[in-house]
Parts: sequence; structure tokens; C-alpha cells
Amino acid sequence: MTAVPSRTRARTDTDPLWLRVLALTLVIGFLGVMILLPLATVFVQGLSRGLAPAWAAIREHDALAALQLTLLIAAISVPFNAVFGVCASWAVAKHDFPGKSLLVSLIDLPFSVSPVVAGLIYVLVFGLQGWFGPWLQAHNISIIFAVPGIVLATIFVTFPFVARELIPLMEAQGTDEEEAAVSMGASGLMTFLRVTAPNIRWGLAYGVLLCNARAMGEFGAVSVVSGHIRGRTDTMPLHVEILYNEYDFVGAFAVAGLLCLMALGTLALKALLEIARPELDSHGV
Amino acid sequence: MAYEPGVPTLAGVSEERRLTTGQSPPPPPLRAPLAIRVEEVRKSFARYPALNDVSLDVRPGELLALLGPSGSGKTTLLRLIAGLDFPEAGAIRFDGVDVTFAAAAQRGVGFVFQQYALFRHMTVAQNISFGLDVRKRLLRPTPAVRKARVEELLKLVELDGLGGRRPAQLSGGQRQRVALARALAVEPRVLLLDEPFGALDATVRKSLRRELRRIHAATGVTTLFVTHDQDEALELADRVAVLNKGRIEQVGTPSEVYVAPASAFVAGFVGEANRFEGAVADGLFRSGSIRLPAAGIEGRAVAFVRPHTVRLAPEPGAAGSLAATLGRQVANGPLTRCEARLADGRDVEFVLSHATAEGLPPAGNAIWLTFDHGHVFAVP
Repeated sequence: MTAVPSRTRARTDTDPLWLRVLALTLVIGFLGVMILLPLATVFVQGLSRGLAPAWAAIREHDALAALQLTLLIAAISVPFNAVFGVCASWAVAKHDFPGKSLLVSLIDLPFSVSPVVAGLIYVLVFGLQGWFGPWLQAHNISIIFAVPGIVLATIFVTFPFVARELIPLMEAQGTDEEEAAVSMGASGLMTFLRVTAPNIRWGLAYGVLLCNARAMGEFGAVSVVSGHIRGRTDTMPLHVEILYNEYDFVGAFAVAGLLCLMALGTLALKALLEIARPELDSHGV
Repeated sequence: MAYEPGVPTLAGVSEERRLTTGQSPPPPPLRAPLAIRVEEVRKSFARYPALNDVSLDVRPGELLALLGPSGSGKTTLLRLIAGLDFPEAGAIRFDGVDVTFAAAAQRGVGFVFQQYALFRHMTVAQNISFGLDVRKRLLRPTPAVRKARVEELLKLVELDGLGGRRPAQLSGGQRQRVALARALAVEPRVLLLDEPFGALDATVRKSLRRELRRIHAATGVTTLFVTHDQDEALELADRVAVLNKGRIEQVGTPSEVYVAPASAFVAGFVGEANRFEGAVADGLFRSGSIRLPAAGIEGRAVAFVRPHTVRLAPEPGAAGSLAATLGRQVANGPLTRCEARLADGRDVEFVLSHATAEGLPPAGNAIWLTFDHGHVFAVP
């Protein structure tokens, strides 16, 4: 574990100075133009008429409703995906079964499918013209153009985050510790709680944060299933779009700025985790 | 170790033993050493058979080595005995009780993994105490007893005072000792070790070998360990089972395996040997000018001649001696290893006492060798 970083460091030291300067300039320049500048623009635009209009745009009824809905969606879909992600990665990394590679591909599917398609899938299944549409309508359950649909779409899109974080970690850790626990008489649940879970807690926290960031920011899939009912089924990203299309630039960028702050907060938490995280999750004691 | 009521292992062990042996017994002591019987066990993995109808009897309280090259099935056999894997055919009995498909937890085994598999997020003491901590409440010793047990085991493996460390803060040898203590904490009826010294450097290896012997003597528990290192097996074990390609080639004491190898594989794998291919006719093995006695075989054969059985002929051209050109000599303590090339171009390694080697001419000169003993096996 320690030999690898020191070796790479030794190699960069021998690279010529001009190459290091060039590489660093390129990276910083690229990040600045592609990421930092646009991010700054969001805040500059949002605050272009001062703090008061921006604050008003956020305090506005529909914006608050959007904020509430976004938090609600994240609060439902993130725990769901955390549980699912742990189960899936446990099954994939610690066990062998037929169809394993198919399951892994399925977990990856939301990464490769366009979010718009993901939204459409749910419209086709649960929409009025969809498979379950008539039955749902008969029982007075609305999924599409309502909160449940948005939750489903968000869950679909954020499906892989936790599992993708945990599968490589758990595979690297192997099954030795679990087997040791079992050989000493621990039950399956006991083994999971006392051996597996503590070993993955940092990776899990990391995956949950990424999942949360995406759940709050998801646009495409949510846009298809939401129906854009202001104050009811508009999440923050959708609300930003509506304001922007109505030429309310200050409002749009103010809400966008808030969304950015939430994402930055998540990133800050993640950074904190990385600092606090001991070398516990690393492979091999 | 008598403070603690026995581990719930296999109900009715003593009764079963009575039934199978037909003796009406003084009941065996609570933690009498366990006999293991492996009967025609078969196990294959996706691409290759790992064990082919393997049978093995492990005597109560013995220290048995499973020796073989990698891929010979030795670790698989150990895992089947531990209950970490299950065979496709055959049976495994502990004191006569069929445990073939019993869960690992029910067998009362202690398993030491090749990479130790210590719980990295727990302290050394928590690691050792784990097997007791996870017991069902009624069978779980009180915290004070568990703590005393941990202390006792730390002392046994000579790690007193390190109970608060994390595995990452220990050296390889210390981790190995923790793994051993952890496996012993549950008072196993059989201790299983997978390549216990594989990941350690030579010095630590040596001292831990003695350690394992000492701990085995102190606990008296039936112990099996897997190794690919013949020195380790021969030095440490009461008996050695030599495995090759999913079969047991020979089971015997270290000296039996070395002095009387049962197959060509064992002769070549255990101890060093010069290998010659030839044929047997009329009880005599012939290969070039080499002649060795070989009773009971006919046809194509292979002979193994140990380096220490090669002698210098009493005089040049003595009857039955072989002309050779002396090569390199390496003094190694009291012995000198020598290389020579026979007249027909084949190389021979042999070992002489330091004193005898003093009388050898310089390299490149002619010498005369005699082979009085070899292990000859028919080639199928």
C-alpha cells in the first residue's frame, strides 16, 4: 500500500520542470474555464441586483415548495438506495451465483441510460396509457405527475451510486474476515453487523453523499414524470428552468445558487470525511 | 482452561463413539482430542477437479501437515474440514459423527487464514474475544471471564500488553499470533491453519514454527496445517499427508515420507533428489551406465537418488562406479554441496561432509561416484 504512492512520487520528481508546469497550468486552466467560471457566474448573476431580490426569489412560495420537495425526494430516495446498494454489493462482492455479471450490468444501467429515457419508462409503466395506468386510476393512486413518480425516477437515476462505491471496496476486502467470523460461530446477521458493516462504513458514507448530490440535482428523468405543476411537483432544478424560461434571470440564478450551495455543502462534507477517514477501508490490514 | 463450560459442539458425540467402537467406556473427558475421518471426498471447482476421492484419518491430538504444490487441493481439503466449503461426494466425520454438511459454527473448529483475516476495525483484544462475544446469550461467558480468557491467550501467544493495538499496528509475526489466539479462544476441537507461515520472513517463520509446536503441546488440540514448504512439514508435523493433483499420495511420519516415498511424486517433491529416467529388467534399473536395485517392477521407470546417498568411489574405476567431471562446490556449514557431470552429460548433485570434500580435486577434474541406493518407480 505504501510502496505505490512513493514510487509515483519519485517518478514525478524526475520529470522536467517545464512539463510539470505545463501539465498543472492545463489542468488548472481547464478546471477554471469549465467549472469554476460557470459556478461563479451563477452567484454573480443571482446577486446582480443585490441580496434582497435574490433572497425574495428564494422566499417566494413556489421556490420554497420546490426546496421542500427536493429535500423530501432526497430524504426518500437516498436511504432507499443506501439499503439497496449495501444489499446488492454484499451479494455481488461476497458471493458467487449464476447471473452475477447480469446483475452488475443491471446496476450500471442507470449510468448508461439517458435520464429522459428513465423518465419515459415510468410514464409507460405507470402513466394513464401505461400498463398499470387503468388499475392505478381505478384505485385513485397517482404516480405519474405526482410525488411518487418523481421519487421513482430519482431512485432509478441514483441507483448505482452506493453500489458502485461499495462493490470494488468489498471485493478488495475479500471474504476472509467474514469466513473467520463464521468459523468462530457468528450468524450471518452478526457477521454483517460486526464485521462487514464496520469495514464499509466510510465507503458507504461517501456513496450516500454522492447519491444525495445527484438526487437533489436530477433534472431529466424528473422533468418527464413531474408534470411541472408549480408549487406541487416542481423540484428545484425544474423550478430553475421555469424561472429561466420566464426571463426571471435573477430568480433563476438565485435558486440555482441555492442548489449549488447545497451541492457544495455535500462536497464539503465529503472532503471532511476524506480527512477524517482513517486507513480503515483500505485493502489488507 | 477449565473455567469455562464446553463449547456446544456436536450433540451425542460420546454416545456415537460408544456405538461405533462398541466399547462401554469411561466417558471421554469433555475436551478429549478429536479424531477426524475424511472418506472419499470429492470437490471440483468450475474448471478443474480440486479433490478426487480423498480419504484421510487424522488421529486425536496429532499435528498433521497437508503438504503439496499449489493447486494440489490441500487448502480445499482444509476448508472442507472447516465447513467453509462442502464436498460433492464423500463424508467427513468428527469422532464418528457425520459433519459433512454441518455449518462451520457447529463444528468447533478454529481456523487461521493465510492472510490472517484479522478484523481490521477491532483491537487485538476484541479480535480474540470475538468468538465468545457472538455466542448466544445463555452460552456467552460473562465479560469478566471473556476478559480473563483474552489475557490468558495473549500470554499463551506471548503478546501480553498488546491487547489495545489495532492489527495495522502489528508486525506480520504478531498478527499471526493474534490469529492463532483468536482461533483458540473458542476452545476449538480442531485447529486448522492455512499456510500459517507463508507470509512471513525466514527468521520469524522459524521462531513461529517452534511457537506452534509449543502451543500444540500446551493445548493438545488436533491440528492440521497446510503448507507447500517441505521443511516446514517435516520439521513440525507428527505426520505428513502429501497431496498432488487432488489426491493424497502418501500419509506417514516425516521420516517415512522421506526415507520410503510411496510414489515418484513424493520422492521428487519431498527432499531433494537426482532424477533419472530408464527401464527395469530383472530387478535392475538401468539408465545409461547407472545401475540401481529395483525389485518388483518391470519396464519404463524413473529413479530418484538423494544427494546424501551418493558416495565417492574408493578408487578410480572401482566396480560399479561412474566417471564424472567435478563442477561447483558450495560449503554450507558442516556439509558441502557438489555438482558433477556424468560421462553421458547428465548432471548430478551430491552432498559430502566437509571433511570428505576437502579431499576433492579442483573443479574440472575427473572423479568416480557410486550410487548405492535409489527410489525406483514404474512409469505408467
